[in-house]
Amino acid sequence: MFTTPRLIAIALCAALNFALGSVVFLVKLPIYLDSIGTILCALLIYPDRKAAFVCSFLAAMISTILTTIFINPFLIWFSGTELAIALMAALVIARSDDVFRARPLPVVKFGARVVFYGILTGVAAAVVSAPVVAYVFGGVTGSGSAFLVAFFLKAGEHLMTAVLHSGFTAEPIDKTLQVLLAALLYRATPADFIAMVRAQPVPAPT
Amino acid sequence: MTPNGALVFAAIIILATMVSRVSGLLLLAVLSVLFVVIEVGRHATTVLRRALALTIPLALFMIAVWVGVVGRAPEDIAADQPGSRLSALAYVAIVCARLFLIVAITQAGALRFSALTPLQFVKTLRMPLTFKRLAVLTLSLIETLHQAIDRAHTALIASGVITRRLSVRNLLHGWVLVQTVWLTAITSVTGRMRDKWPIENTLNLLDPLLTEQKAPRFDARDKTWIALGAVAATVIVWADVHGAP
Repeated sequence: MFTTPRLIAIALCAALNFALGSVVFLVKLPIYLDSIGTILCALLIYPDRKAAFVCSFLAAMISTILTTIFINPFLIWFSGTELAIALMAALVIARSDDVFRARPLPVVKFGARVVFYGILTGVAAAVVSAPVVAYVFGGVTGSGSAFLVAFFLKAGEHLMTAVLHSGFTAEPIDKTLQVLLAALLYRATPADFIAMVRAQPVPAPT
Repeated sequence: MTPNGALVFAAIIILATMVSRVSGLLLLAVLSVLFVVIEVGRHATTVLRRALALTIPLALFMIAVWVGVVGRAPEDIAADQPGSRLSALAYVAIVCARLFLIVAITQAGALRFSALTPLQFVKTLRMPLTFKRLAVLTLSLIETLHQAIDRAHTALIASGVITRRLSVRNLLHGWVLVQTVWLTAITSVTGRMRDKWPIENTLNLLDPLLTEQKAPRFDARDKTWIALGAVAATVIVWADVHGAP
């Protein structure tokens, strides 16, 4: 499963997850972009679904551990969310790899798939991260979504329900953007690099 | 102390923190202070400073939301009682104390081994060689990507595609920066995989560097700290079962 090009792809996608935080900071955008590498890794390796899942989860975990050590010590609590995103990427999003690379670009089909997968991934991420946000962070993670939580709490909802509703509101938008960027990066990736990553390991001669 | 021991000790403290009430948090705070003073030594104030710098903004945000906007604790909401801002403040204090301990122990672990290079740190960890390779490759590629970001960012600002400050142009063309960085990294990595690494035999030379020879998994200090952490965690669970505050 772990050929050298795949190890490189995992490391590259983990580094992309980590480094895009810097890009977001540089261009001062109010978004996260912390799972693009995870989704992209699954797209690069896709036809082998098991490898796509394992590799994209590894990419997610490496970047999560590095970000926890160097930048944000709270990120490790969202490992479950990374697992959910890797699962969604390998089993659902990557099925459209042909649409994402089709030339000329099928705009409507491409857009519809991106929005559908973004919403699906956002809902999954919201469900998995809700217990962590509610129990570990008391519903407030420091992002703007905390005000949504406050709004739902003020309306009389329980903490867990408020966090879930806040997640359902904010996560699909962020994840749609991430699926879009991952699909566009996949589209821009040279075909020979994808071929190298997808090549199966050659068995040793007997 | 070895990085393996520090990781296990930190994991025990973090898990114990999550199930602790006030008395448990006090016990863990005492143990953490001992760890920081004995293991981190002169960097102890740095641990405290970093932990405060990371926790205080979150604490202020939580106070604004829970005390300022909501005005009662989750228990009050669950019990459908009016509650008070004081109970909301007490809830925020416990959540923040937990987060502070988690950040402090993570920072202490990181600073304890700050003298090691990433390669030396990864070498001492007990994990499969594939994961060690991945960790080292990722750290190397992060540097490659950071250099690519610096170059592309400067070039795109100079050509007027994006701006240095927050702008609509960044929102519309920020994507160009991401794509440029990705393609730069792919080109660089493909070149290394095809030509540079096979000629220099890089990956095969890396394996012996990442394999620790005859090193024990834990040394005596590791075992002492892990035992202390395990005892503290057991006491906390026992006290929780018997209804300690």
